[in-house]
Amino acid sequence: MAEAGGPPEPVVIPPQADFPVDWAHPDEQKIPWQHDRMHYPEAMPTLEGEFWSHFMHGMHLGMQHYGMPLQAACKPFNCWQYLGIFPSVPPEQMPEIGKKSDEAMMKTVHRLQQRWEEEWLPEIKAQIDRWDAFDLTAASPADLRAHFNEMWAESQRVFGIHFEIVFPVYIALSLFDDLHQDLFSDEGAFESHRLLQGFDNKTLEVDRGLWALSREARASADVRATIEARAAGEVVGALTESADGRTFLKKLDAFLGQHGKRGALWGICHTSWVEDASPVIRNLKDFISQEGDPLTEMHQRAAERDEALATVRAQLSGYPANVSNEFEALLQAASAAVVLTEDHGYWIDFQATYRVRRVVMELGRRLAAAGTIDTVEDIFFLTTTEITEAVGATATPDHKSLVSERRREFDHFKGIKPPHFIGTDYGPPPPGLLSRAFGKFFGTPPPPSDAADTLTGHAGSPGKVQGTARIIRSLDESGKLKQGDILVAETTAPPWTPLFATAAAIVTDTGGILSHCAVVAREYRIPAVVGTGVATSRITDGQRIEVDGDAGTVRIVS
Amino acid sequence: MASTCNLRADVTSIIWLDETGCQDVSHVGGKVANLSRLAADYRVPTGFCLTTDAFKQWHEDGRSIQMPPALWRQLSAAYAEMARRSGTEQPSVAVRSSAIDEDGRFASFAGQYETYLNLVGEEEVAAAVLRCWHSTGAERVTGYRERYGLALDNIEMAVLVQHLVPADSSAVIFSANPVTRDRGQVVINASWGLGESIVGGTVTPDTYVVNKQDLSVTESRVADKERMTVIVAGGTKEVPVPRFMRLQPTLSVEQLQAMARLAIALEEQVGWPVDLESAYSDNELYLLQCRSVTTLIDTEEGDKEHG
Repeated sequence: MAEAGGPPEPVVIPPQADFPVDWAHPDEQKIPWQHDRMHYPEAMPTLEGEFWSHFMHGMHLGMQHYGMPLQAACKPFNCWQYLGIFPSVPPEQMPEIGKKSDEAMMKTVHRLQQRWEEEWLPEIKAQIDRWDAFDLTAASPADLRAHFNEMWAESQRVFGIHFEIVFPVYIALSLFDDLHQDLFSDEGAFESHRLLQGFDNKTLEVDRGLWALSREARASADVRATIEARAAGEVVGALTESADGRTFLKKLDAFLGQHGKRGALWGICHTSWVEDASPVIRNLKDFISQEGDPLTEMHQRAAERDEALATVRAQLSGYPANVSNEFEALLQAASAAVVLTEDHGYWIDFQATYRVRRVVMELGRRLAAAGTIDTVEDIFFLTTTEITEAVGATATPDHKSLVSERRREFDHFKGIKPPHFIGTDYGPPPPGLLSRAFGKFFGTPPPPSDAADTLTGHAGSPGKVQGTARIIRSLDESGKLKQGDILVAETTAPPWTPLFATAAAIVTDTGGILSHCAVVAREYRIPAVVGTGVATSRITDGQRIEVDGDAGTVRIVS
Repeated sequence: MASTCNLRADVTSIIWLDETGCQDVSHVGGKVANLSRLAADYRVPTGFCLTTDAFKQWHEDGRSIQMPPALWRQLSAAYAEMARRSGTEQPSVAVRSSAIDEDGRFASFAGQYETYLNLVGEEEVAAAVLRCWHSTGAERVTGYRERYGLALDNIEMAVLVQHLVPADSSAVIFSANPVTRDRGQVVINASWGLGESIVGGTVTPDTYVVNKQDLSVTESRVADKERMTVIVAGGTKEVPVPRFMRLQPTLSVEQLQAMARLAIALEEQVGWPVDLESAYSDNELYLLQCRSVTTLIDTEEGDKEHG
């Protein structure tokens, strides 16, 4: 019998009938694998799965960096990506190693801004610059292959940095939130976040860049008419036909050159804005008729923040000094962290990841030209080993049937709803700095709803609003979202946030109060309910719904 | 000091705690006189007393809702001086009244009167002083005095205006162990914030025992301190202690030793065991109150002395 209060007995999770798992090793089944719908809501082709496992190995490296008593594994099962986090030391060593690791972590929590400016960002930028210096199209097959191998290995470090950043970032935000709750429990869940609002970040900077483009477009009746009237895919071509249009395209190109190295979601298989500007054009179609000024709005949020902060500081002046010292220290850490929640993603998840995609696409072009595969995109159905072996091989291999076999498997499994957990269930993770922060980022299972017409999730951003639900499954569908509509999605990656200027509210299946979606929704001042688990399946497109961002509930009105 | 010289021109209306005149019970009441004696040798939060003379001026002036102009000027100057002494532009103060008659006998009835906490700025202070003075006409005061057969026509009042030190931690210090009666030990109960939560028993404080001989800390019982009293607008309030601090020890070894030395010194000065209320603010130890512990004297004399 398990000791009272001890960890629950591990339970092997029975397999889902349409999702048989072929364990590579018996030990693999002992891992608590979890599907992360917030970052990988879609099934993944072969290379994307390998890339994500590679990216997520950065989590393992991040855990080592802080000496955590944990390890992480990530791999695709049936084209769906699973993450397993489990102890790396025997249970009796967990407390002591955990304590040491927490101390190391807290050092970085209090030095986030410094480490970002002095270590992480310069290293990431230098790496990106080195990759950009390589001339892809001129490279010989052997050089390209060597470059690909080298970049794959070098990117591991960048993805390690990703987790050196995100662990302390979310811990800083979580600790600040906890302290605020301790001090001002009667003030509601969002008050601590109000003290962190109005800071600029890369996500908002990109969105403002788009907004500025929309003002440029409005300045010319001709450009405006073209953007509003033509289909998104035809706009760029049509603009080349007029002088105003060509002037505008230069500005569009400058914007894309700076910020366009990002696809619709995390990963390498999504077309980026520099390759196809249609998502940007669709954003411009939305923005062009809207009024407002995002910069002024941001400054207003900052002024509100400063005012709220002055009130809190006045209150704390009558508290013991160690309360205000802790508050100020965590405020400083959380203020840096809230910016880094977005900026790390801009530089690593999108800018650096795009560089990997760029090389993969060049390899795809070469292999398609050589006849190894039919189309450039087919490269996503090969492994890195298959790719490097094929590039510049004396006898060109034919992987066409391999690709179609894998594509069939992919097409089959992408239609299947993957189980949330596979492997072994150890119950909820033990309490700790990281599990608490992760809970607020990924969101814990929402409380059950007590009304048939109401969905429960997590309060993401305050406010209550009614509107027409628009289920957006990919950014290609973003055109159907009109002003005043409510965006309903499984998850929203940073490239989705321009839609927040159009949407009246956001509802997601995934995420918690610290998720990207919730953080950015608060900056846009629109209500958000995150982590409902079921919004995209329970709500139908066109239904009228009421979003209560304070209560974390969504009511289906009609 | 130039600024205090000005105040001395009318020494009978306002007297600072650290002035010897402040030990005149008939002008300031027993409690203030006692504090003044402590202030001569120890760090007591800076303060001044509006004496019975000030009260009389106001009373004879017709008990106006405003302060007589001359008194107002002195109060204003005294508040400015307190700002200078406390190094705070607008120091927060506590205003406490104590009613007395000519020989100061009724000082112990001070509790029947008024206390105002966390007043900031000379207007707030003046308003609180006036409320104290007016309270001498209040029904509950006169009712009390009638019940106890006390004269109504000779009530006088002294009002103490004292810097409200924003305590990081507070402690009650016993110069002898109140439980075991061991006079070789100093026992310290300490918790976060102002002392009200310890005195009022709403928090289980940390308990420390310091050996008087070598000042070693022989016992440390760190409690889970759930509540603390803090200064808020308009007074004080008891709030939950943030989780990160609940199990932290309130005092360092150095702070415990400083408290023990203070208790030993006062015990020697008074001549018998004492209990003290004290507070740390910005790492300065303040003495807030000192009482002799009479129960221990009897025991001690019976049990130990001449034995």
